[in-house]
Amino acid sequence: METAVLQVFRYDPEKDQAPYYKEYEVPVEGTLLNALLYIKDNLDPTLAFRAFCRSEVCGSCSMKVNGKTKLACKTPMKELVETWKGKPLRIEPLNHMKVIKDLVVDIDKPIEKMKTLIPWLVPDPRVVPTDPMHESIIYPEEMEAYKDQIHCMLCFSCYSACEAVADNERYRGPFAFSKAYRFQVDRRDIETAKEKRIRYAISGGLWSCVQCQKCLYVCPKGVKPAEDIQNLRGQAVKKGFTDKPGAKKLKHFVDWIYATGQINRLYLPEEVYGNKEAREKLTKAYTEMGVEVWEVPKPTKGLMKFRDIYLEILSKEDKALDLDYSHVRKIDKMVSDIFKADICTIVDKAHEEGRSSRGLISKLKGLLGGQ
Amino acid sequence: MVELDYDIVIVGGGGAGLYAALWAAENTILKVAVMTKVYPTRSHTGAAEGGINAVLTHSVGDSPEAHAYDTVKGSDFLADQDAVDIMCKMGAAVIYDIAHRGVPFSRRPDGRIAQRPFGGASFPRTCYAADKTGFYILQTLYEQCLKNNVTFLNEWFLLSIIHNGEKVEGITAWDIRNGGVHLIKTKAVILATGGHARVYWNRTSNALGNTGDGTAAALRAGLPLKDMEFIQFHPTGLAKTGILVTEGARGEGGYLRNKDGERFMKRYAPEKMELAPRDIVARAIQTEIDEGRGCGPNGDYICLDLTHLGEEKINERLPQTREHAILYEGVDPVKEPIPIAPTAHYSMGGIDADKFGRTPIKGLYAAGECACISVHGANRLGGNSLLDVLVYGRLTALEAVKYADEAPETNPSVAKAKDDEKRILELMEADGKEKVADLRRELGNVMMKHFGVFREEKSMKEGLEKIMEIKERAKHVKVYDTSKKFNTDLITALEFLNLVDLAPAIAVPAIERKESRGAHARKDYPKRDDKNFLKHSVIKRKEDGTYELSWKPVTITKFPPEERKY
Ligand code: SF4
Ligand code: SF4
Ligand code: FES
Repeated sequence: METAVLQVFRYDPEKDQAPYYKEYEVPVEGTLLNALLYIKDNLDPTLAFRAFCRSEVCGSCSMKVNGKTKLACKTPMKELVETWKGKPLRIEPLNHMKVIKDLVVDIDKPIEKMKTLIPWLVPDPRVVPTDPMHESIIYPEEMEAYKDQIHCMLCFSCYSACEAVADNERYRGPFAFSKAYRFQVDRRDIETAKEKRIRYAISGGLWSCVQCQKCLYVCPKGVKPAEDIQNLRGQAVKKGFTDKPGAKKLKHFVDWIYATGQINRLYLPEEVYGNKEAREKLTKAYTEMGVEVWEVPKPTKGLMKFRDIYLEILSKEDKALDLDYSHVRKIDKMVSDIFKADICTIVDKAHEEGRSSRGLISKLKGLLGGQ
Repeated sequence: MVELDYDIVIVGGGGAGLYAALWAAENTILKVAVMTKVYPTRSHTGAAEGGINAVLTHSVGDSPEAHAYDTVKGSDFLADQDAVDIMCKMGAAVIYDIAHRGVPFSRRPDGRIAQRPFGGASFPRTCYAADKTGFYILQTLYEQCLKNNVTFLNEWFLLSIIHNGEKVEGITAWDIRNGGVHLIKTKAVILATGGHARVYWNRTSNALGNTGDGTAAALRAGLPLKDMEFIQFHPTGLAKTGILVTEGARGEGGYLRNKDGERFMKRYAPEKMELAPRDIVARAIQTEIDEGRGCGPNGDYICLDLTHLGEEKINERLPQTREHAILYEGVDPVKEPIPIAPTAHYSMGGIDADKFGRTPIKGLYAAGECACISVHGANRLGGNSLLDVLVYGRLTALEAVKYADEAPETNPSVAKAKDDEKRILELMEADGKEKVADLRRELGNVMMKHFGVFREEKSMKEGLEKIMEIKERAKHVKVYDTSKKFNTDLITALEFLNLVDLAPAIAVPAIERKESRGAHARKDYPKRDDKNFLKHSVIKRKEDGTYELSWKPVTITKFPPEERKY
């Protein structure tokens, strides 16, 4: 029978000074969970790990294999052996949680964190009847909005893989935002609860996510926390929660790009972090280096047409309201003041000069979160 | 020894336990705690795919009465009809309640909860949420419990129930995470610990932990268990693991073939073929295997052939089946037939409880699969278990609240806890002549061989002897892990000992019920015998460890027994 060697992380805080790895030879048959059960039944009954359903529904058995997050009952031994070409397989507990023993980690903390985001339905009495014998009508199309999020089985794979969790103690974790978002897009959930969720999400690190997309890749159930986080951010901005640097950055990008076709690095520190000196310092530094700087970028040919397209893109993503027109008007005024003409004239002039604006739109699409 | 003090302790955090917790939390200011050996969302309710039966306000032509009739008929007339009546009438109420709490039931185009036909039902009345109904219900109930700040004792293992012969006084439990036996004082206890089909260790669709912990503790505490001989076998479990292949695989047009490639169902159910009711298909498959027409080197399985459906259809309709077949059986159903055999699926029997979930001990209730109310009788209909779980979770919660509101403080003695401590110490100091893994496998084989799909006096008597032998040998199992924290070696042993206690409780009434009814199919008594056996078996364990069988009448109200024909 073909066998493989598992190097299993062992640690009993009561007995062991430090963690160590123990090697076990297991048959290459069935899943990684089968291999662990084989160890427990035949080689070493003291090994501790969690498992229950053995068929990918309960979320008990996630762990790391050579650094990669895996659900043990969903991972064929054959595949592991092939991927790692017969090298030993290092089995370790998930990251970011305290080890209770061996492969068992303390999941209370992520659950507590999730709890702060109100991950439950707060029914709106205008939609959900209070009469228990009265059905609340929900159309199949409505359920599309949260069809992925409801698959989360709290396996904490994403929590383990997340960069933001590593960096920020307070960060609630990818799954927690997905659980919260599920109710943000449920018509039955009351508006006041939605507001609160956004507020709590912001103080729970909503803007700390670095959009590395790892959560999305490791999730065994097809939940896409990274996307849900982007959407929550959108909701935060729309609801006017724009006092966080992350939200301000987004606002800065959206407004400046709409107004001038480009972001404005000179104004970014001021608008996002409230740093008033930065603009002058930067301008000075650039000038000293002999780099040409414009306080506002010179509008290019086709800007007006571009604005239409940009608005269309935003509308499609249901983000058109993110545009702050008073801000845009301010920028327009700056442009006009500097170039001593109103914005349309400048654009026309640019047109006459025969400058090209090609490539702008594709660049913009790139800026908009890769969509 | 730490003492904890609650008014109501709910043991088990699955569908029944969480729904009980929710209803208790919303209806009382008493101190309520849910104690569960796994985190609640791990519970086996989450594996229920099919759906939940209920007659809704828009179920045209259907009625709770029709639902009750189907249930009673499905039960082969062993269900208590007053309890079935309660359950069926509460159907709509619990469905709307959990829908209002957020369960994403699949909807019709007009926005109402969709219902589909299910085996043994005369109307399409099974509500479903895609193919993960139980999963969504479990997650939603957990969310709602968090919302209500329910106290959870997660990863605690029930050891013993303490009562004074009249009323319950407390329980003892092992704190898995930190180690240590605890005495928990409480006025009321709701047992919601799930089924015990893991007795059939090697061939079951159940999760690793469905070991009847509450049922076994009740048995040890002298409480009666009812109808334990009835275990439902699902016809299509994967041959190696017993993991379920959904009924949908046959629904989509899959064929069952024996080793000669014959579609043998034509000999058992010429009209319905592969789509005949579960128990009939299970028996047909078992007969083929028993009569030497099984497939594979040992002739111990049958082939479920999907190859003619084509890759596209399999991917679209049966993705999970394909994934599981490849993963657990090493067979791609697009290219080869899937090896399957009947697998132990559901325990109809359990802790003897009345139509409100009350046991003979005051303040002690049972709900869900660990209970035998009985609403399933000799055979449970698909879609009725989730309903049972919710209805009785809720009813027992209300009963327990009512009781605990007025009950006096209890005063459980520490003796039980000391006993349990000793028992655990002894396990760690045992001679280790026997290994849990070996005995568990042996027990599983004995149960499947002698108390499987088909039963027969001589074989069962042999089987019971073997069980008793294993029970004797179980005294020598040793727990090697002596650490306190997260000692899964200890838990595995305790779970196994629970199974060993339950096995005779299944075997004894199985031998004595000399008829065939529902899931209890005897070769030597192939007919139902209403004259002698239209009654519940009741089994108790006496102080000296012997098992004592008695019988109890079935409550019949509206539906007189008739032949069960489909
Ligand atoms: S995308 Fe955000 S939430 Fe997801 S893993 Fe990366 S940092 Fe964490
Ligand atoms: S989102 Fe996915 S990876 Fe994260 S906890 Fe939920 S199921 Fe696991
Ligand atoms: S054991 Fe349940 S998900 Fe792996």
